[in-house]
Amino acid sequence: MSANGNGAAGGVPILEISDIHTYYGSIHALKGISLEVREGEIVTLLGANGAGKTTTLRSINGLNRPRQGTIRFQGREITTTAAHDIVKRGIAQSPEGRRLFPRMSVTENLEMGAFQRNDKSEIRSDMERVFELFPRLQERRHQKAGTMSGGEQQMCAIGRALMARPKLLLLDEPSLGLAPIFVERIFDIIRQINEQGTSILLVEQNALMALDAADRGYVLETGRIVLADNAAALKTNEEVRKTYLGES
Amino acid sequence: MAADASASTLPTRFKRPTFIGGLGGIFVILLVVLLVKEATVSPSQFAQTTLIGVTNGAVYALIALGYTLVYGILELINFAHGDVFMLAGMFTITFGTHFFGLHHGQGPVTVLIVFATLVLTMLTCGSINAAIEFVAYRPLRGAPRLAPLITAIGVSFIIQDVGLAWKGPNYVTAPDVFPHSNVFSVGGVNYQWNHLIVVILTVPVLLALLWLVQRTRQGKAMRATSQDKDAAAIMGINVNRTISFTFLIAGALAGAAGTLYSLWATTVRFDQGFQLGLIAFTAAVLGGIGNLPGAVLGAVTIGLIQSWNEGLPWHMPGSDWTQSIVFSILIMILVFRPEGLLGEKTPEGG
Repeated sequence: MSANGNGAAGGVPILEISDIHTYYGSIHALKGISLEVREGEIVTLLGANGAGKTTTLRSINGLNRPRQGTIRFQGREITTTAAHDIVKRGIAQSPEGRRLFPRMSVTENLEMGAFQRNDKSEIRSDMERVFELFPRLQERRHQKAGTMSGGEQQMCAIGRALMARPKLLLLDEPSLGLAPIFVERIFDIIRQINEQGTSILLVEQNALMALDAADRGYVLETGRIVLADNAAALKTNEEVRKTYLGES
Repeated sequence: MAADASASTLPTRFKRPTFIGGLGGIFVILLVVLLVKEATVSPSQFAQTTLIGVTNGAVYALIALGYTLVYGILELINFAHGDVFMLAGMFTITFGTHFFGLHHGQGPVTVLIVFATLVLTMLTCGSINAAIEFVAYRPLRGAPRLAPLITAIGVSFIIQDVGLAWKGPNYVTAPDVFPHSNVFSVGGVNYQWNHLIVVILTVPVLLALLWLVQRTRQGKAMRATSQDKDAAAIMGINVNRTISFTFLIAGALAGAAGTLYSLWATTVRFDQGFQLGLIAFTAAVLGGIGNLPGAVLGAVTIGLIQSWNEGLPWHMPGSDWTQSIVFSILIMILVFRPEGLLGEKTPEGG
């Protein structure tokens, strides 16, 4: 599984997940998932609704701990680390459904992304950077996040995650419910963020866009990984083409 | 889960039936006419009862803020809150008279003792409230909402029984240390120092609280946690600690209210938390539960209504009816304006 030249995929794994089992209440949602993200990579998780993509992300960020298996980040185990400590280690997330703070302004939401940082001037310059990536957010910076459109909220959620200065960025369905023009834009920005040195684990319904952007991909089915390969190889894989790229 | 979050948080344009709006308007106009009539029948009595109402309202505000803080962060009506306020009155008596030897007519040292008692009571009640959260509510964090609500009622009874066992079934007397001399006396309207002190001590507490929630890092964590706990956690906020902190602050406010109320009313009984707690809860709902300035506005409104009802001379129902009136207000608010006077409409409708 070598990099396919689509990005600057390094060799050192930043995130290593081995054989995790995670439950939602009594539902056995992840039945032994193993995957890794290497430094500088974009890795995508594909799969139908309920396959376990979001649960995988929630296992990583500490919101839904696995009962078995281990998760290591930069060589250190984080399987049982509390969610609020994991972001300090360098993993930030733009979660499913965006989960902005609806009654806070855009600026306040972005500030919340940098909650665990103390470097005030750096935070300010990072916010400028987010506004450069998403000029729309700057226009709306005093607006309450809950009153913005879906696309604007998505930008704000990604911007908020960037404010943590993550080494690894988890993106859950960044294109969900967005107009096609926004989808293109979001994926451009994902590539841009990656080129600036952030590794990305991307969960996406839009398999074509995701595989275009990613270095490697995993395909999940009912809590198990059924396929793992380079993005380019996955794009030509017959199963993937049939199931996720909508070709007959 | 994947539903569009923007749709549910956008202010929904709910058109109220004009009939009901008109009824509400007529009701408010009738009230104003009634008050104007009262004011012309006996201006001095009207002014006097208004001043007392503001004092009452100040105490209610301190209690109502505790309800609103806790509701804001957990969406839990903490029925035990009024009883923590009652305990605060008992602690005031214990700390004040038994520890510090507080009694009537000590001169300037009274100020120091009262202040020490106030701080100690606030610390004690804050810790007790945080402990209640840890023992009774935290294990139910994932349970359906009804479970912690019923637990809260249970905790309320437990605290009442503790109060009953501790100080007995009768009124316990607190030392009467606030001066009763007049601040001013104009045209038969007297305003006494013991009333003014309550208001003077309440205002800085309220300002400090607003500053804490709106300006500090901890306040930011509180607001974020109240809006979305999972999102707060992945921002690096320790959600459990933030909730504990909120209960600590709410308890400290109940402590302040208990000290002021017991020294002002000079009596404490094990069941007073129930009644005053319900009044303060109504105030919090009236102002918009979860909204801090709303809780203060609601509390002063309820304080005024109570005092006008009990003190005005011209065809007022009188003190027998105070509770009926307060709870009629609660019902009307829930029917006509569930978001309260200052509350924002939320997807949950409250």
